[in-house]
Amino acid sequence: MKTMKKIPKSLTNIVFTVFILATCFVLCLLLQTFSGAHALIPAVFILGAFLTALSTEGYLYGILSALASVLIFEFVFELPYFRLNFTVTDNLVTSAIMIVIAFITCTLTTKIKNQETLKSKSEMEKMRADLLRAVSHDLRTPLTTIYGASSALLENENGLTKEQQVKMLQSIREDAAWLTRMVENLLSVTRLDSTNVKIIKTSTVLDEFLDAALNKFYKRYPDREVTLELPDEFITIQMDALLIEQVVINILENAVCHAKGMTILCLKVSVLSGKAVFEISDNGCGIEKERLKTLFTGYYQTENLPPDSRRSNAGIGLSVCAAIIRAHGGTITAESRKDGGSLFRFTLDTEETADEQ
Amino acid sequence: MSSKYKILVVEDEKNIRHLIGALLEADGYQAVPARDYANGKMLYFSHRPDLVILDLGLPDGDGVDLLREIRRDSLTPVIVLSARIDESDKVEALDLGANDYVTKPFSSAELMARVRSALRTAAFHSGTEISLDGTFTLDDLVINYGARKVFIAQSEIKLTHTEYDILSYLSRCPGKVVTYNAIIKEIWGYSDSGSIKKLQVNMANIRKKLGAKPGKKNYIENELGIGYRM
Repeated sequence: MKTMKKIPKSLTNIVFTVFILATCFVLCLLLQTFSGAHALIPAVFILGAFLTALSTEGYLYGILSALASVLIFEFVFELPYFRLNFTVTDNLVTSAIMIVIAFITCTLTTKIKNQETLKSKSEMEKMRADLLRAVSHDLRTPLTTIYGASSALLENENGLTKEQQVKMLQSIREDAAWLTRMVENLLSVTRLDSTNVKIIKTSTVLDEFLDAALNKFYKRYPDREVTLELPDEFITIQMDALLIEQVVINILENAVCHAKGMTILCLKVSVLSGKAVFEISDNGCGIEKERLKTLFTGYYQTENLPPDSRRSNAGIGLSVCAAIIRAHGGTITAESRKDGGSLFRFTLDTEETADEQ
Repeated sequence: MSSKYKILVVEDEKNIRHLIGALLEADGYQAVPARDYANGKMLYFSHRPDLVILDLGLPDGDGVDLLREIRRDSLTPVIVLSARIDESDKVEALDLGANDYVTKPFSSAELMARVRSALRTAAFHSGTEISLDGTFTLDDLVINYGARKVFIAQSEIKLTHTEYDILSYLSRCPGKVVTYNAIIKEIWGYSDSGSIKKLQVNMANIRKKLGAKPGKKNYIENELGIGYRM
């Protein structure tokens, strides 16, 4: 594969064109010698020109291959043999048709290729627009609470009971915390934006990483307990620790918010042939089949969710996880477990621990 | 409190500056607010605060430069405020001698805990110089500097020479984030490509010997990508 990449594109195009022409030539020679199916020869060359236009870049190779086909056809397979003779109407018409077909094919395939890149570009634009729309929608709700509650507290201080005041202050804090997490996720999205991924991988010790991530999680959810299952050996992983930390927290948080009836939340890490496999499982209600399909891609579908589930960053959180893991060259999956609950699994490459002093 | 601690708050966002000021006053400190680099520098030299809370992103200069000037002058504890984006600035600030950092947005409890801890460290350093036979205590962990011995709940923990040096170095800056670089420089005196790995392996052994469990309250906190705090 590596050597393939080093060869310039034009060279592969030329080789391909020559290969197709040679194949056509041999095929026609066989046809002429053994079956005498002379009428098939132009068709074979047209097919050759068509294939060349389809598989090479731009117009050039298709047209060249059509011209070459015409010349070979006239020179070798058409009477008078081994002489170019364009004065015969038959030959002229066949040649013209071959060139026109090759030209049209080239134009069409190039157009289709251009359209495809345009389409993927506009799809990305659409995704971004959808994301923006969903995000601004999601931001408005907590902002309304914060603005409303704080104005009420300022303007109506005496009309509110102490209990009401405390409740309002609590909702302000809660929504501000939610906004903070949302912004963290958005920051990650912009860092992973489209093509130029700006992740900074450093060698991270698994234990230290989990300690920091879990401490952050416990700060938000002090009453939750995460059961750990870890390998004994010293493991380091090349990762952008802040981003992977967010993946772990998002998945744990997703379980806390959505796995109804959950009593056990478990984080297991194992090493399998050079890969660290992180598994986060719960014994809650599991994930609906329909939801599984769009779990990691469907952040813009938050509008279809019941309003309370939107509150937990569900839409954007898991797509951010997927984007982060992809940028690390890992994989992420989610499934409902047979014995109830859900299981999220992601993998990252571990580092060779060659020099354990 | 008869002699109030004076705390300089260098922060350009008015609301945050007022908030921090109010929090400090509520806890009995005297807050000296500064709105930018120039103002902060002037107030530092005229007021001689006991602690500085310093925002890294200032409109008229880099907070890191102000930190540099403060360090040229004194060891006054400095707590750096930063947003998540300035990850590298944070490490730079800590390497330059900032005592701690708080990431925005922060809770009031978090900030005040850091303030108390930084002031305690400063008092620890100026007042009771660690004598060679002194001890350090954190919950049930005891380090006996004279005997170079470490105990948990009175039973001795066997550490290697390097492991002990790292632990004792961290313990001498309680509550402060000590960067990887600072530890490497202190323990090995030089740093090369293998230094980080050496430190990581030693720290893993220390954690194991101290019975640390991820996510539980441990003697040493991990500040990912930055350093350790004891």
